[in-house]
Amino acid sequence: MVAYFPISAAGGGVWRTHNRGTDMPMRGCLSSMPRSPTTDGRRRVLGGIGAVGLTALAGCLGGAGLPAGSSDDGADDDTADENGGPPTVDRSLSKEYPIDRLNEESMDGGPGPDGIPSIDDPAFAPADDPPTNLDGDDPVFGVEFDGEAKAYPQYTLVWHEIVNDVVGGESVAVTYCPLTGTAQGFYRGESEFGVSGQLINSNLVMFDRGTETRWPQMLPVGISGRHTGEYLEEFQVIWTTWDRWREAYPETTVLTEETGHARNYGSDPYGEYNPRSGYYADQQTLFPPLSSDDRFPKKEVVIGARNADGAMAVPKDTLRDRAVIEGTVGGIPYVTVYDGALDTGYVYRNADGTPVEPNGDGFLVNGDTYSPDALPLESEIGFDAMWFAWYGYYPSTEVHE
Amino acid sequence: MDTRLAGMLRPRSRIAETGAAMRLVIRRYDSVTVTGVVTVGYLLTFLWAVGDLSIRADMPAGVLIVDEPLGRVLDRTGPATFEAIAIVDTGVVRLLFSPGNLLLGGFVAGLVGINLAMSYLAIVQPSACGIGTGSGLLASLPALLAGTVCCGPVVLLVLGIQASGLLLTMFAWLLPLGIGLLLASLMYVAGRIDLSEPTQQ
Repeated sequence: MVAYFPISAAGGGVWRTHNRGTDMPMRGCLSSMPRSPTTDGRRRVLGGIGAVGLTALAGCLGGAGLPAGSSDDGADDDTADENGGPPTVDRSLSKEYPIDRLNEESMDGGPGPDGIPSIDDPAFAPADDPPTNLDGDDPVFGVEFDGEAKAYPQYTLVWHEIVNDVVGGESVAVTYCPLTGTAQGFYRGESEFGVSGQLINSNLVMFDRGTETRWPQMLPVGISGRHTGEYLEEFQVIWTTWDRWREAYPETTVLTEETGHARNYGSDPYGEYNPRSGYYADQQTLFPPLSSDDRFPKKEVVIGARNADGAMAVPKDTLRDRAVIEGTVGGIPYVTVYDGALDTGYVYRNADGTPVEPNGDGFLVNGDTYSPDALPLESEIGFDAMWFAWYGYYPSTEVHE
Repeated sequence: MDTRLAGMLRPRSRIAETGAAMRLVIRRYDSVTVTGVVTVGYLLTFLWAVGDLSIRADMPAGVLIVDEPLGRVLDRTGPATFEAIAIVDTGVVRLLFSPGNLLLGGFVAGLVGINLAMSYLAIVQPSACGIGTGSGLLASLPALLAGTVCCGPVVLLVLGIQASGLLLTMFAWLLPLGIGLLLASLMYVAGRIDLSEPTQQ
């Protein structure tokens, strides 16, 4: 399992890698500068009778070089906002659309700002006492910072889309967009994120409550407000299942249904993931994508990554079959490896074209075996997304199969 | 002048007729039954459509109330939907108790119920020849319009229609349009009822 902690204010990012396995060599940088947890007094507790019941796609240095995806000068400035907004970073991501166009494409999804309420004071249960509605094969979004692991069930986030939380001392937001099937994490500093009610390319548009800048989740660039044109700082979120996550992280805690809001948890308004049905399985999109491509079914899950080199997508089914998939982005070699324990993939910028081969549960690189999350290459943040949504935002994406 | 046309051109008269027709509706057992059944049926459908009512046999009976419920009654979750402040589980059915949705749904359901009851009376006690079941269906369209708005784009999902900016803008107007049409329908149908002494109880 990897968590990325940017520690330098300027002059390049330095990242810390956590290795889930104990018998794999550790690579990466080992210092960090935790952010201050925020305090949130807006506790809304359910009471009553009965119980219902990725950083800048900059990547790990792997010991050398500049973070992939950072701006051309290599800077990855982590800028804390003095006006209550989230920290932003200088990044150079693949830009397919000008900001004006993104604003033009912003559509009212129905609810107004905070009409879909974020969870601002999340409550957690230990792994051996999970919510009764959570089945082992249900999808959860896993996050691990500084030894603290947390799971956020999809069935809860479908009603809230954003959890403002503190994990391992980091003030973060774990975000999920049901319509694009994307779970992403962002550092939030002293700010909180909310759901704006707007959608672009069917994708959640967030806003920060400090500056009211609007941030499309998948991009994630400010499109209006004080931070227009700036990028949020991301961290990796793992889309897996509850059984897989608690097997990998027995000490994990899991988000409960005590969210402070009355919602029909256990019932998904769009369909089901276990087994997959409804919107998550059909060929319909609720809103027209910015660009379309029929190489894959619209809801096919791809692992997408993007940086200054460009954008890439790996079909998850293909990754499961082959374990290692290589390709190029802007002429630079990349490799994506499969983690069978968590049913997820990790993307690496492999500028030197170092050979990567499966070796048991790990991968053989330069004669040593590494766990899939800790290859000695430049780690990129990748996340699951529905194909139509990924292509809609990144029509120049290169597909690795 | 045709009496019906004259009635339409005299709003006060038509309002009085509508009031009288509503009184007639509540005086007759059969029309009250129609009103009640339609109102309750529409309200339940409305609550199911907005997601406040569902079958949840997997949940034990109990009640959950959110913190500071009164302060959240008017929080909106959509253009015409409101925050639930409690969860009521019966062991079979789950109700998300949202006073705003309940009041709004109840109002529209009542309008639909009275409309259909008046349509029923227009059939069994017409004031003029030529009144058929078509008038009874008049309330269906506005009822659907008023109900559809509550679910917003999710309705499009069910119907497999891709949303456009224009369509989403239209959604915001469907509720007031539906209520307006229900009121107009009420006044129209009221003019087709024989307001003399009831012929049956």
